[in-house]
Amino acid sequence: MSEPVLPLLGRGLAAGGAAGLAAGLFSLLLAEPLMDRAIRLEEARSAADEHTHGAAATAVQHHEELFSRSTQHFGLVVTAVVAGLALGVLFALAYALVHRRTGLGERPWPRALAFGAAAFVAVSLLPGLRYPANPPGVGDSGTVASRQALWLAAVVIGILGMVLARQVYVRLADRSLPVRQVAVAVTGVATLAVLFALPGNPDEVPVAATLLWDFRMLSLASHAVLWAVFAGVFGALGLRAATRSVPAAEPVAA
Amino acid sequence: MSLHTAQHTDTAAVTSAATTARHWLIMAAAAIIALVALYAVFMDNGTAIAATGDYLHEFSHDGRHLFGAPCH
Repeated sequence: MSEPVLPLLGRGLAAGGAAGLAAGLFSLLLAEPLMDRAIRLEEARSAADEHTHGAAATAVQHHEELFSRSTQHFGLVVTAVVAGLALGVLFALAYALVHRRTGLGERPWPRALAFGAAAFVAVSLLPGLRYPANPPGVGDSGTVASRQALWLAAVVIGILGMVLARQVYVRLADRSLPVRQVAVAVTGVATLAVLFALPGNPDEVPVAATLLWDFRMLSLASHAVLWAVFAGVFGALGLRAATRSVPAAEPVAA
Repeated sequence: MSLHTAQHTDTAAVTSAATTARHWLIMAAAAIIALVALYAVFMDNGTAIAATGDYLHEFSHDGRHLFGAPCH
């Protein structure tokens, strides 16, 4: 790799920050009311539990009020921005690795969009299909370590599946287009099969189906907002850099 | 003449090798920082980064649920 990666990293940071902010504000407006409702239901449930069993020790100690709900609302936006920045850096690195042979400045717009869509599928959609997001009040702290391991495994499998699909598509370059596309589709189905071979989420979901569905849809939607804004900004910054570098090579006219 | 060319090529090769090495170092450092940041917001449960207690976890609580990261 001979082309500088620093400009690409800068682009990843800028696009990631903007994308994280957009996703954070999107979910602050749309998902937070649902989360607040879920937490109120959870508190009501644990209060009822205490009442019937008389065992305060079994009450879900979800909120010991380390932070008020409004601080956690703010925390949501901060978390989204931090995650966006970090994902932006990793995206820029992956972009540099995948496109290192053909020049990093080539066709920045379509590449950014295609790469962003691939990242959404690999990192957000595939793991999200296997382990869909749950509103507060669902997770059991006793199983969090194993659930984290499973979730990480799902993300890694999603990324590996995407890399494999691209490899299949590139390696079959001399085959006809239908053959290549079918091969990629088979790779996708195989990835899903591997994901669903993982053990399921051990927690029960004591939440109303509507609330659960709405929350999961909003979670997926904020992932989509994140990657769409990211790809757009990353591609636009790449385009700007490409058009700027052309006149820079010529003598500056006063 | 040929000696000069050879030396020139050597220097160029060394420089480009150094540049390449620097690129990989930058990339590795950036990847590590990004992964640590993701760990902090999505994976910490107040044990691995002991000094934070549960504060980091609780502060990023809503974001974790929203992005589908496992939470308590």
